[in-house]
Formats: sequence, structure tokens, C-alpha cells
Amino acid sequence: MDVVVLVKLALDTGQLRVSEGKVDVESTPLKVSDIDRNAVEEAVRVRERVGGLVHVVSILKYGPVQRRLQEAEGLLREVLAMGADDAYLVADEALIGSDQLATAKVIASIIRRLGKYDLVIAGEATVDGYTGQVGPRVAAELGIPVVTYVRELRVEGSRVVAKRDLEDAVQTVEAPLPALVTVTREINTPRIPTLLQIRAAVRKPISKLTLADLGLTLKPTIKVESAVPMQVKRRGVVIREGTVDEKADRLVQALIQEGLLTPR
Amino acid sequence: MAMGVLVVGSIGDIGLVGLAQRFRGQDVHYLLTGQGDAAQLGRYGVSRVYQLTTGIDEYSFSETLTDLVNRGSYSIIITPVNRFYRTAAPMAAQRLSAPLLTDVIDVKPIDDELEVVLNSIGNRAQVTVKVTGRVLLMAPPARFKPSENPVNASIEPLQPKVVNVVKVVSTEGKAKGGARIEDAELIVAVGRGFRRREDLKLAFELAEVLGAEVGCSRPIAADLKWLSEDHWIGLSGRRVRPRLYIAIGISGQPQHLAGMMESRTVVVINNDPNAPFFRNCDYGVVEDLYSFIPALTKRLRDILKR
Repeated sequence: MDVVVLVKLALDTGQLRVSEGKVDVESTPLKVSDIDRNAVEEAVRVRERVGGLVHVVSILKYGPVQRRLQEAEGLLREVLAMGADDAYLVADEALIGSDQLATAKVIASIIRRLGKYDLVIAGEATVDGYTGQVGPRVAAELGIPVVTYVRELRVEGSRVVAKRDLEDAVQTVEAPLPALVTVTREINTPRIPTLLQIRAAVRKPISKLTLADLGLTLKPTIKVESAVPMQVKRRGVVIREGTVDEKADRLVQALIQEGLLTPR
Repeated sequence: MAMGVLVVGSIGDIGLVGLAQRFRGQDVHYLLTGQGDAAQLGRYGVSRVYQLTTGIDEYSFSETLTDLVNRGSYSIIITPVNRFYRTAAPMAAQRLSAPLLTDVIDVKPIDDELEVVLNSIGNRAQVTVKVTGRVLLMAPPARFKPSENPVNASIEPLQPKVVNVVKVVSTEGKAKGGARIEDAELIVAVGRGFRRREDLKLAFELAEVLGAEVGCSRPIAADLKWLSEDHWIGLSGRRVRPRLYIAIGISGQPQHLAGMMESRTVVVINNDPNAPFFRNCDYGVVEDLYSFIPALTKRLRDILKR
């Protein structure tokens, strides 16, 4: 069984850089989107049960491309160390700031080039954009069924059986392979690679591709005008000194002054 | 740009018509799912309603929506935000070769272009994007209020295009704590700082005195299951915007912050002075919650006479 896992090299929103009131994307570090580690873990578990290969596919969405390449490769080595067999990284200026329509087309094009695939696994959403679009879009592009928000996955012969986490219910569904599945963080606990696995990952292949290599040209549909950080202005009054009762009193006084409490 | 606006959702998502009305001078049509009263939509200027009464899966829905958009040549398609639409809308968008913008706050049509303001980057920033051509917008209906503009809505039943690829074997309801956290004005949120499930009663007592709802971070609902998932606040949980948010024993991971960013006043209580949440609070108290919360609750009881 050959499994493709989609990995986003996401903006590390915990380390968001800001300059002159705007989000400075170019100097914010990247990280493997947290939920995608669960996707990699699940892909590796499927391979451990039924054999086959795990391919990682990743699209660089944040520039500058040349400076990010090494950072991207380092991050992909992290997921290769978890047990994936090889990785495909598409890095191209035309994809920086592009929308999910383009991302899905490029991912689908790589998956088709692989020739053989049975299952595609992605995270339910990424930790930076959190739109959760790319999984369903790739499925639509490939014309395969999609099962989203999966917290339990079984591969049985030529189909998957999955438990989906919806707002008010847990739904059990079946879909024929090939299919695309998006997983939630509840599905598993991603493994921490051993030193030996980290060393071994250095020798695993990462294919770097451009749009020209894939024979694709893209037409942008959206243009990002500005990104302004939200609500970063908090008062930041931290009460550290005093007895427990003094601290409680100071907090209550502050909330009264804010008009949030009205003494009777 | 020739425009027609199609709003998609149940009768409960009528707030989205408020967003549609910002495209002045455009016809607003509605794909109504479920049994709601279609005629009611005419009060808000919706001139045509397609009613889809049978429940279908996301894959079939995306096909049905794609066909309707092509048939009606709609350029603006607006849907609510939930897991059904987060699955169906991107599939339809890909088939329509259109962008899909989520968590939309506002739209401004300017000549041939459309300016859209949305929450993005894990809810950490407001992003403004320009779009030309067809676009799908996803927005929380409660954010908008349609104004009255009565017309006679024509109503036609919509036949779904059913594609049997994903088979639903069973559906089981989730346990609910009865929390209505999205609408709460005051929230007391609990995290891993609580050592035992029984200890949460400290937070519930505080919430009772304040008249607040109790929320929680991911581990409390998803891993420990001390509270049901309708209490979970965060990127993959609920998004809240109360007047007062009191976080107790929550370290402040970005995924949690993304769910409560829009709170007006944020109070953080933690015994670890280095907890990242202190960098995102209006008022912080460095103290052990086990001694502080009872003291705070008592003080509030005194002044609020509850």
C-alpha cells in the first residue's frame, strides 16, 4: 500500500514577527504544522501494518525561496526521521502567497506523477492558515473520495473505514481506495524519532521541484494586500507581589475599573 | 463584473444574508437546506430560494452546489462555517477553479474588484485580499444581521446530485455539557494547571458567582476528557469573543490563543511566571490557583452579594 502524506511547512505563529504594525512573514520561522505530524504518524502506521511506501509531499508557501530552501529541507528531514521513505518539495516563486487552488493543483500533479498511490493523508487543517481546504481540494482535483476529520482509521482490503469527528456526532464511514483522508490530533500520538532514525533520515531522498519541472503554469486568483496582527495590544499588568488576598483584591479592583464588575 | 450572490445554508444561517447585502444592487438567492420556511427569506430581499430538503453527504453536496453555481452564473457564493461546509465548499471551489476565503469579516466591492477582510494566520492577524472573478466566502452567520427589504421570493425545490462514494455506516451523538460557549459574555477557562478532575469545582464555583460559562483548553476535553468537547476553546475547538475571559492554569499555546483572541479583557492566572499566556493578557496573577481561586471567589461573593 503506497501512502502519500501532505505536509505543510507552516508559519510558526507562536513566533510571529511584526514590523511597523504588519506581520513580517519573511522573517517568521517555519515549522511542520502540528496536525501534519499526526498525518505522518498515521501513514507510517498504515505502512507498518500492510507494507508499502510513505511519500511526503510539501509545497513551499513562504518566501524568500532561496533562503527558505535549507530551512524546508531540515523540516522535511524531521518527518523522514519519523519513518517516511522519501519527500517531494515544490519550491517556486510563483507559489509564494498563492491560494489553495494552486496548491491543490500542484499537489495533485505530483501525486499523479507517482503513478501508484492508494491513500492520501493530510491534517484536518494547518496551524497557520487553518482553512482546511487543501485536503478536500486535492481529492476533488484527483476525483477521489474524501473523508475529513478522522480520529480512527482502518484499512480493510481495498477500502478504508473511518470514524469522523463532527461537531455534534461521531460518524463511521466507509470509502473505496484510493481515497483522501484528513486526520485530527486525536487520532494518534506522533512518535519522537530516535537519534539513529534522525541520522538515517539524512540519507533519504528529497526531490526538489519547480513548476517548470511539473509542466505547470498558474494564474493567481487572489492578491494579499495586507496582514495586520490582531489584538496584540493588551494591558499586560501582571500582579506578582503580595499575599493571596491582596492579589485577589487588586484583580477585583481592576475589573471594577474596567466596568466588568459592578459592586452591589 | 457580473455578479449574482448565492447564500448557502439552513434557515438558521440567515445572518449570512447580511453579508450578501453588502454587495449593493445584486440579486441575492439562497440555497436553503432542510425544512425551514423559505418564504421568510423574502423579508430580507432574497428573490429566489432553492430548497434542498433531503440530507446528503459532503461529496454529493459539492457536486450539487457546483452545478447550481454554473447554472445560475453566480460569482459570489457564501456559506456558513462548520465541518460540513469546510469539507464540501473547498471541493466545489476546486471544481469551479475559484478561491475560497474563510473566516470573512467584511467585504468591499470596488469596481471590478472585491476587497475581502478575514481573520487568518491562525487567527493572529486580519488579512485583506483582493479578488477578481468568482469567489466562495465562508463566514460565521452570527457576525452579520440582515436588514429588512421585503420581496416576493420564488421558491423551487432542488434535486440533489447524489454520488455514492462515501457510505455512512453509523452516526452516534456526542455527550454534551450543555455549554453555549460561543455566545458567552463571561468565560472562566481551565487548563492543565488543575491536577484532578474534582478540582474543577473551584472554577465552576467562580463561574457561578460571575454568571460565566466554563471553557477549557484542548487537553482537558480531548485527552483527559474531564469536560465534554463543547467546552473546548481553540483553533480546533470553539472560537469565543466574550467581554471577560479568565484563563486559569492554561499555559497559552498559540492554538488556544487562536480561539479566544477576540476576547475584550483577558485575565490570566498561573503559578508559572514564565507562562506564555502572560504576554497576551490584560491582567495577570502569578499565584497557585488552589489558593487563589477560592480567595477570588470569596472576594467576588462579598462585593456582588451572591
